Amino acid sequence: MGIALEENEAGSLVLLEGTIDISSAAELKKLLVSALGTGKHLSISLAEAQYLDVTAVQLIWSASQQAQRSGVGFSLPGILAEPVAQSLTNGGFPSFPT
Amino acid sequence: MPGTTNPDQFRQSFREEAREILVDLESALLELNENRTDQELVGRVFRALHTIKGSGAMFGFEALAVFTHNLENAFDEVRNGRLAVVPELIDLTLAALDQIRAMLEEREGAAESAICAGILSGVRHLTGASDKRPASVKTPTAEAAPLPRAGQIRQWEIHFAPGPDLLLNGSNPFLIFTELRELGGLSLKASMDSIPPLEELDPERCYVSWEMVLATTAGRDAIRDVFIFIEDSCELSIVPIGNVEATLAASADAVAAALEDTRSASGGRRIYDKPDNASSLRVPAVKLDQFVDLVGELVTVQARLAELAARRDDLEIAEVSEEIERLTSALRENSMNIRMTPIRGTFEKFRRLVHDLARDLGKDVELTLEGADTELDKTVIDQLGDPLMHLIRNSMDHGIEQRELRLARAKRATAKIHLSARHSGASVLITVADDGGGIDAEAVRVRAVERGLLAPDAELSEPETFALLFQAGFSTAKQITDVSGRGVGMDVVRQRVESLRGTIDVASKPGLGTSVTLRLPLTLAIIDGLLVSVSDACFVLPLASTLECIELTSADIERANGRHVANVRGEIVPYIRLREHFNVATARPALEQIMVVETGEGRFGFVVDQVLGDCQTVIKSLGRIYRHVQAVSGATILGDGRVALILDPDRLVQDALKTQSQKQAARASPRVARNGGVPGLNAPPH
Repeated sequence: MGIALEENEAGSLVLLEGTIDISSAAELKKLLVSALGTGKHLSISLAEAQYLDVTAVQLIWSASQQAQRSGVGFSLPGILAEPVAQSLTNGGFPSFPT
Repeated sequence: MPGTTNPDQFRQSFREEAREILVDLESALLELNENRTDQELVGRVFRALHTIKGSGAMFGFEALAVFTHNLENAFDEVRNGRLAVVPELIDLTLAALDQIRAMLEEREGAAESAICAGILSGVRHLTGASDKRPASVKTPTAEAAPLPRAGQIRQWEIHFAPGPDLLLNGSNPFLIFTELRELGGLSLKASMDSIPPLEELDPERCYVSWEMVLATTAGRDAIRDVFIFIEDSCELSIVPIGNVEATLAASADAVAAALEDTRSASGGRRIYDKPDNASSLRVPAVKLDQFVDLVGELVTVQARLAELAARRDDLEIAEVSEEIERLTSALRENSMNIRMTPIRGTFEKFRRLVHDLARDLGKDVELTLEGADTELDKTVIDQLGDPLMHLIRNSMDHGIEQRELRLARAKRATAKIHLSARHSGASVLITVADDGGGIDAEAVRVRAVERGLLAPDAELSEPETFALLFQAGFSTAKQITDVSGRGVGMDVVRQRVESLRGTIDVASKPGLGTSVTLRLPLTLAIIDGLLVSVSDACFVLPLASTLECIELTSADIERANGRHVANVRGEIVPYIRLREHFNVATARPALEQIMVVETGEGRFGFVVDQVLGDCQTVIKSLGRIYRHVQAVSGATILGDGRVALILDPDRLVQDALKTQSQKQAARASPRVARNGGVPGLNAPPH
């Protein structure tokens, strides 16, 4: 698993790679809070993610809600990897994160 | 990262839980063997297997999960009335439990062993399943979701709201859905309503809940079984949708509509701060040991404070000291209680032993339990398994007669072993009783003489005779069997019980049976003792083995003509002078005290300078360096900072007897047999 935050003038990009589960949940929250704190557009890239568990889904959903409330742009660029799309559908999140 | 979970901890936690489940499963199987139509027992076995399978897959024990899945299928067939409980199924499942244990320990090749293959083949033969069909608990995809089994299909609304700590416990809701899909067509939608704002969100808690519709032939129990591992820590409702029997192809529209209905019916936000309703939690034993150690330190510091307060004429300090003493005492009692666990787990394990031994020995034996909820310190319980196993094996091999002999003696063909536990003051009495042939005291005596353990002319009481059974190398068995007869087991029993500061009592009636009772302290962490001194050194003698205290005057010593014996109301009691035994190089006072104690070797006296009073002390280990000093079972720190050694009276007496015996041997005098007319120690033991 890997979580990284890249920031530039345009906004923040959180990159998620491999398995993102409860063992990395605290780290993911820290980065999301930090990124939203800049008040700039937040993008979360799931292109390299292979598995998201419930904790990851909750965090991403909560971040999207907070961005909306704060008037900050939010996006999930790129295409979801097949296993992630599959697990989201199987987990009852077919239109995640909206 | 604080609060971050470790997958190894989950695996370890699963191992521990699985081992407990296996103990219960074994009991249930053996009970089922006796009551083969008991559906409650069948359900218990099925649920246990289901839990091991489900949680095993969840924690990465994939081979274990697949193996257990086959057994679960067999008991599902039993549950549904398609397979009868036969002895072969019980034996195969018992053998399978041993393999599951090996897989839990991740022994190399355990999962691929020929034994596993043989068990599975046997189970499939019984259930009529094909050997070639691979059993799997792999995740089916949504597209490949299997159709429900043939038969009438019903739709069920399922509301599932995991408790906040579900994820921390290592559970994964996605795997629950996978299992539900194995039962039939599943539609589900997650509800995010309870997810708090990001800043307030605890990243390791579960806030999501799910509404589902499941179309399946399975009943409510089967659906509930999927949640069996987490049922206590989640909100769960399983409600049939109307009474309509759906067709196999339940329409997607109907499912969607039902989902909508379910959502509106549940309404509102879930309270995600609902307290976790788990009534107990699992704590590593090492943490408990650390806790008890810290309480021990606190007791020591509190004793120092009490002594300081007593020396100072300050009312305020005295009040604080008393308050701390009260709290420390409560804390100490509480910490000891935390370590107390029921002995049931240990007792239940012996059902399997009795079952297997009975089969091997060709005897019918029934094991009955009493007082299994009696609580003992975990350390004591952990060390009880071996002694009890040896006693039961011995009982089954030597005590219980063959069926024909029992019938000839007008006894029930099925013999009985009764395992019981009960409290008796600060001790617990654990008894292994059988209704076998009893002990032949004369045979024991003859054998002891043959083995050189007893002088031919020694006169022994019955308890003393039976005590010989626990001497090293003693056995009356005419032949050594796989079960017992090497005279090793009973010696192990004695050593282990003594190391637990316990004693053994044997009672036997020829032809009627034998009972062996182990008297053990409730806890090893604390001791009620008598504090005594020799010169500047302090010692603690266990109160439980101390009988009385008498004075030893110069006149008494003169009357004994140099022998270390005292006349206690007409009874001659040998004594050991601690000053000499521990090489305390100071002159003895004119008036000494003899602490009379009861030991495995009989009554003995320990001569000390003064008796300082009673004390309840937390035992501190002396560490590995002193592990060979067996006469001292530990140490404690007194209020004034001094260290007092806690004496083990039995070992101390054995040490003294050994020293005396060596001295006598050196003088080439005849050996004095133990228990054989030892009127007293004729020479100073040191």
